[in-house]
Amino acid sequence: MTALLQHPGYEEQRLQRVAEQLPCRELQAGTLLALMGEPQQYSYPSIFIYGHRASGKSHVMDVLMSELELPNATVSCVECVSVPLLFEQVLLSFFGCDAASLLPRSPSLSDFVRIYKQQCSQSPAKETRYIVMEKSELLRDTDANLLPALLRLQELVEDNVTVILLSEIVWDVFRPNTGCFEPLLLNFPDYSKGELLQILSQDRHPSYSAEFYLSYINILLGVFYSVCRDLRELRHLAALNFSKFCEPLTEGKAKETDTHKLWKNIEPHLKKAMQTVYLREVSSLQWEQMQQMEERESGAVRGLSAHTHVELPYYSKFLLIAAYLASYNPARTDRRFFLKHHGKIRKTNFLKKNEKMSNHLLGPKPFPLDRLLAIFYSVVDSRVAPTASIFSQISSLVTLQLLTLVSHDDQLDAPKYKCAVSMDFISAISRTVNFDIVKYLYDFL
Amino acid sequence: MMESCVTHAPSWSSQQMRGVSANQMPEMKSSQEVVIVIIINMSKRKVKDDHMPVGECITQVQSILRERFCHQKLPEKPQAVEAQHKHLLELLKRTAIHGESNSVLIVGPRGTGKTMLLKCVLRELLGDKEVQKNMLEVHLNGLLQTDDKIALKEITRQLHLENTVGDKVFGSFAENLSFLLEALKKGNRSSSRPVLFVLDEFDLFALHKNQTLLYNLFDVSQSAQAPIAVVGVTCRLDVLELLEKRVKSRFSHRQIHLVSSLTFTQYLERVRTQFSLPGSFPDAKFAQEWNASVKTLCEDKSVEEVLQRHFNSSKDFRSMHMLLMLCLSRVSVAKPTVNPSDLLEASRLCLSDAKADMLHGLSILELCLIIAMKHLNDVYEGEPFNLQMVHNEFKKFLQRKSNSMYNFEQPVVMKAFEHLQQLELIRPVDASSAKTQREYQLMRLMLDHSQIMEALQKYPQCPTDVKQWAMSAFG
Amino acid sequence: MSTSSVSKGCFVFKPSAKKKKRLGLDDYFTDGCEGAENGQLRFRLCQDLWDKIKTDTEVLQDELNRRILDSLLDFTKKCSSFRHHGDWASQMRASEIPTAALVLGVNVPDHDMTFQSLSELLQQAVTPHVASVQAKECGALKHLMKRVLERLMDTVMAVGDDDDEEEECEQTNGQLHTNVHCSLSALCDWYSAKTKKSSSGTPGKKRSSLTLDEQQQPPVVIIFKDLEAFNPRVLQDFILICSRYVGRLPLVFIFGIATSPSTIQRMLPHSVSSLLCIELFQSLSCTQHLATVIDKLILSDHFPFKLNSKVLQVLISIFLYHDFSVRNFIKGVQLSLLEHFHSQPLSVLCCKKKEALLNVMQLSHHNLERVKQLPSFKRYVQKQEPQEQDRLLNDDTHLKEVCKKLMKDLHKYHKNYYPVLWCLHTLTSSLPRYPLGKQIRELHLICLEKSVWENEEYQSAFKLLKMLAKDELITLLQRCAEVLQRVKSKKMKNAVVQLEELLSKFKQLDTAAAETALVVEESITSPVKNLQKKTDLFQLQKTLLEMNESRRAKKLSPFEVLRNEALEFIDDLVKSHLSPPEAQTLSEVCYYSSSATVRRHLNATPRTCIQAALSSPFYYLQNESLKTEDGSVSNAAPDICITYKLHLECGRLINLYDWLEAYTTVVSAAEGNDSDSDHIGKVDDVKHARFIRAVSELEFLGFIKSTKQKTDHVARLTWGGC
Repeated sequence: MTALLQHPGYEEQRLQRVAEQLPCRELQAGTLLALMGEPQQYSYPSIFIYGHRASGKSHVMDVLMSELELPNATVSCVECVSVPLLFEQVLLSFFGCDAASLLPRSPSLSDFVRIYKQQCSQSPAKETRYIVMEKSELLRDTDANLLPALLRLQELVEDNVTVILLSEIVWDVFRPNTGCFEPLLLNFPDYSKGELLQILSQDRHPSYSAEFYLSYINILLGVFYSVCRDLRELRHLAALNFSKFCEPLTEGKAKETDTHKLWKNIEPHLKKAMQTVYLREVSSLQWEQMQQMEERESGAVRGLSAHTHVELPYYSKFLLIAAYLASYNPARTDRRFFLKHHGKIRKTNFLKKNEKMSNHLLGPKPFPLDRLLAIFYSVVDSRVAPTASIFSQISSLVTLQLLTLVSHDDQLDAPKYKCAVSMDFISAISRTVNFDIVKYLYDFL
Repeated sequence: MMESCVTHAPSWSSQQMRGVSANQMPEMKSSQEVVIVIIINMSKRKVKDDHMPVGECITQVQSILRERFCHQKLPEKPQAVEAQHKHLLELLKRTAIHGESNSVLIVGPRGTGKTMLLKCVLRELLGDKEVQKNMLEVHLNGLLQTDDKIALKEITRQLHLENTVGDKVFGSFAENLSFLLEALKKGNRSSSRPVLFVLDEFDLFALHKNQTLLYNLFDVSQSAQAPIAVVGVTCRLDVLELLEKRVKSRFSHRQIHLVSSLTFTQYLERVRTQFSLPGSFPDAKFAQEWNASVKTLCEDKSVEEVLQRHFNSSKDFRSMHMLLMLCLSRVSVAKPTVNPSDLLEASRLCLSDAKADMLHGLSILELCLIIAMKHLNDVYEGEPFNLQMVHNEFKKFLQRKSNSMYNFEQPVVMKAFEHLQQLELIRPVDASSAKTQREYQLMRLMLDHSQIMEALQKYPQCPTDVKQWAMSAFG
Repeated sequence: MSTSSVSKGCFVFKPSAKKKKRLGLDDYFTDGCEGAENGQLRFRLCQDLWDKIKTDTEVLQDELNRRILDSLLDFTKKCSSFRHHGDWASQMRASEIPTAALVLGVNVPDHDMTFQSLSELLQQAVTPHVASVQAKECGALKHLMKRVLERLMDTVMAVGDDDDEEEECEQTNGQLHTNVHCSLSALCDWYSAKTKKSSSGTPGKKRSSLTLDEQQQPPVVIIFKDLEAFNPRVLQDFILICSRYVGRLPLVFIFGIATSPSTIQRMLPHSVSSLLCIELFQSLSCTQHLATVIDKLILSDHFPFKLNSKVLQVLISIFLYHDFSVRNFIKGVQLSLLEHFHSQPLSVLCCKKKEALLNVMQLSHHNLERVKQLPSFKRYVQKQEPQEQDRLLNDDTHLKEVCKKLMKDLHKYHKNYYPVLWCLHTLTSSLPRYPLGKQIRELHLICLEKSVWENEEYQSAFKLLKMLAKDELITLLQRCAEVLQRVKSKKMKNAVVQLEELLSKFKQLDTAAAETALVVEESITSPVKNLQKKTDLFQLQKTLLEMNESRRAKKLSPFEVLRNEALEFIDDLVKSHLSPPEAQTLSEVCYYSSSATVRRHLNATPRTCIQAALSSPFYYLQNESLKTEDGSVSNAAPDICITYKLHLECGRLINLYDWLEAYTTVVSAAEGNDSDSDHIGKVDDVKHARFIRAVSELEFLGFIKSTKQKTDHVARLTWGGC
């Protein structure tokens, strides 16, 4: 397997070590090394590596850089809140802090290049320098020249430097409309099932045998592979359910060998976990507790998503209900719903058939404050004075993200709102004040 | 380390050769012969002593070719652009020697060797001693000098006038520039030294606030205050439309167009020359062999059609360099030649569809969502959609016919949807949709049928019913 | 004030605070009639009382939060310890940031206190490095960064005391200002330096705080007070950045969530949430919180100050209907306290018994007069014999004596009221359909309003009680006995004694006539049982009826006799002690009654005020000429009132010219020159100007606004004719 990592530029044992640290990524690492060439040789100005999350992009880069001791500057574009920060980090890790301190107050790209040039003329590169940028998709949000400049940095600074961009997004959406220097594209494909198995089985529980853990991972993948290939997520799931898996052993009901019994034991739990895959609702510990709970009253798995119930003051509930009605009913239907004796508005002639999709597919519509209050007063049973606290409740509902203020904040008269809660949320709320909301919803007539 | 490499290099390579020759495709006679030749040579080489070990050679090859492909090392003489080369050289000479002012634009699509041309010319120009000690150069790049203040600072710096300027305050840009040019006047002679301004990414300078820099440069060049030549390099053919009237009027409408009117045969030739070693290569024998192998490579049928494809897509240097670079990266001590398979592999890398790769890595749920979107697109002919609709579509599928898929909870589906958005396989219609709930944000699908279908075919263990669903015409 | 400067410029004159004399708070209390001494006395009483209430409630808050805070502390400790000698599971999540999702409910005003105590506890027990951030102070990522870094380093500066560290902090702060260095890596360096310092010899005073952190690194806790309000984008980026440093920096997040944990998912995409290791913590609901507060604050005789039913009603309804905020509730109590002591001169007597008796003796003549004016006292006087009456009315010393007695009685009344209330609650709270309310506060309200035993819920409750099975009844009675035992007043004492007797009788009963009792029991108890099940009113009445019939039919069993006896006992216990406070003489001294004031202060209705002012100016201006009947506006009213009135009659869009016309007719009618008709409705400039002003005023008040749909029209912003 190390045969993949033959390279004249570097010592055998280093490559050996690299290969060990990069299971199932030797191929990519090999190609990358080949492209990078020997340290003193020129390398391609910019390489763009794309692949899904947790497909080992950053890891491979880190290992290569650290093990082969290549001069590199690894920056995460999330962290570089501002472009100057980026320049600073690069200079810092190439030429030391005195170089970084040469940057003026708010450095422009040309300052950066100028300083870089003069620095590397003082200390010319014997080896290729590498700038690794994680989450490079964020570079598009900074000023437009940065990305094209970085792509041809080698030419701009006349130094043997290679910019390596890592991203989860394909290159096509990066390309500026006037075009730019095309980087060398390199894909990190997602791990195959076998590879996942190999990788996951590496972090085995110390107190159990390797093949036992391997069999566990096998079962896990059998269930989850179809819906989830994210290595990180799978690792999380593995950690989550392992103790459950071992239960029969700890209780002495089964031996490591009889897989069938173990499978029988774990299977239902994995099925439950399936419902909440990707949600990351609970730490393993709380998961345990919940599992115990399930034993007692056997319901669906309740994670964070289950705790959707919110206690609200009485009028806030009605305000929310009113908001919901206002944002999901067409305004013209209000007369029918909320006037006690609406004259001749029969279902037949006010139900428009031409609306092709129900509002619950299209989402909430904005509504003015007046309409909200009008509906509120008609749905709330008792007579309510328009006190200050009613209005303050509206604003607090906005801060709680149950309503959203659509119109601009500084527009004081006739602000517009939207209701931001789901159907079952609102029906739960209306149940508590026994208000039958479905009767008032246009979609359900 | 080199030692070890040397010792076992021949044996390595030879056996590798056999391996290669064994797994060559039958019709590739020529390359087989080459291989044999090489082997013979190698066996010969042991007795000879003036040559270098293979490892050495490969390293040499790598560094030479890399310099060519990655670092755009200038060729001895520009190829296929002799006319332009001559023209430009003429212009610049006039400035450099006779002190005429000039302005010219070099226009051509990316990677057609505009910069190379310019550099060649400069190299030749600076060959002249007189010019070398007389002429000054200022290189500006639209990417770097993003506004005129920065540009002016840069000019000052490149003319080494920081200390002469010191901290003078100038009323206008023009004053400043003219001061700089004045400062270049040699003490006794009234004629000032010619200055060559090279503006790379010229079009970006047109974006500066009322194009002050361009205006002044062209103005100076037109009203011969001081002998300067302004050379703009750009890839935008409509560059003149970008210029303001007053600027345009001051520009001598000289343009040098680089449109590569290459025939495929020329293209092939260029590939060969680009990929073959120079005569100056230390180990002549190896160089011969290498060039021979390259020659045969270029004659190979499969290679030819691959190159044909590339030729059709783009015939410029860059893309070719990228291709060759990829080939080169597969050359190693273990395998000191390039053979067609390398080139095929390389072109595969170049032409691979990235989106398809990404689709391959999606979870089945995400894939289902994409299929649902596709159906929505079919039904509402490309109207934007939101998560609710997609989820609805998906639910319909589940109710109708699904034995393999679970019915996931809303939050889970939401997460999948978010992931797709993060991968920018779907895009929100309006960017300012922070206010609306995520499940109601209107989206567009950034994929087309063929991509989806292809992905489905490639997808590992894709459930059949999902496939059928994707095939089915109606949602 | 003037300056010697000639040149133009703006000068800032700081107001010299010393100059104008501050009149002390207590001076506000001397409302005209009385000498200052009384006012100061009342002020003092008020202050003392409030301080007491304040401290008590704070203690209460703390012990209410105790549980969740402790669990949070454990959580953070666990995190920091796992990081070092962790088991397999925790190694698996070494890359994740431990996060506590702390669900606090929607009563946002109360949260601050919780977070305050949380961060304090953390700093004492777990780590010196705690930073808490709010949404509104970090709109962008760099702000958030800045805040966090500053907070963390400042906290340490506060703790640390050796110089080099101080200067280091200085220069890091210096860097903070140049936004460039404001990155987590800086924090990391600082942290490692810090921990090195603390692990090596630390000054003694610091060791006391961080004893358990000596060996291991203390975690760095970041508290996000209001998660919902944060900008998701900012939060995501911050978490992403933090996760890169989680190896070097033991971070712990605490999310303060108002609504529900699912907001985390709504805000964070999977790529981010998968970097967190979330644990959920639920604080107890604010209604429970309120219940406990009421028990401690309202339903106890520790505080002489009381609220009458209306005021309490207002406060509670504000809580339930508007904001679930306990803090505001207590504020309300404070307000009424202040109002009471301020408005009621006799509130000098509203204090501890002994003090009250003293104050009675100090009462001045004026105040005694006030006492005589008290309705409750009047009622009392009427009850007395004639000569007693005129003694009361004329002889101050005698009056004082009587007042002393009455005050004593009042205190006794309170002493007994609450235990009995609890008894009644224990008996009735478990009944089907809660005739007297589930919460004790409801029962309390009923009792405050009028005498309980008169309303029919009470009757029905007792009917139900009469149907209780023996064992249930006994348990209830025992609980009552426990309640009463805690009180030490002789009335309650012998009440307890009687109860014990009853209970013992019950005991004997089942030894004596077990089998009959049995028969009786299930014949009797079964209906109650199925009452529990089907609980609609009709069923209830039906069963009640047949119960009575059955009772009439057969003679009472000994158990029933006993039960009735017990219930009678309870009944007259109630009758004797739960009489409404208004009945008590001098109750006005302790009971604050003006609910209107409280409502006006706590639950203001600005809109209606404005509308009232505009529609009936007399209400505020008190000018006879404005007095009108049937809500119409007299044409002598201010212009704005007239325009307002007129605009009420219009639709959504108001034609300005018509409006002007109408206005001028009204006004000119007011001027009385309606004799010559040509003059009528003629628009002269003055009227025009007045009209314009009135309209602009209306616009300013937000009743109308100019519209783009029609140029000469304005849009109405208020709906209906209100």
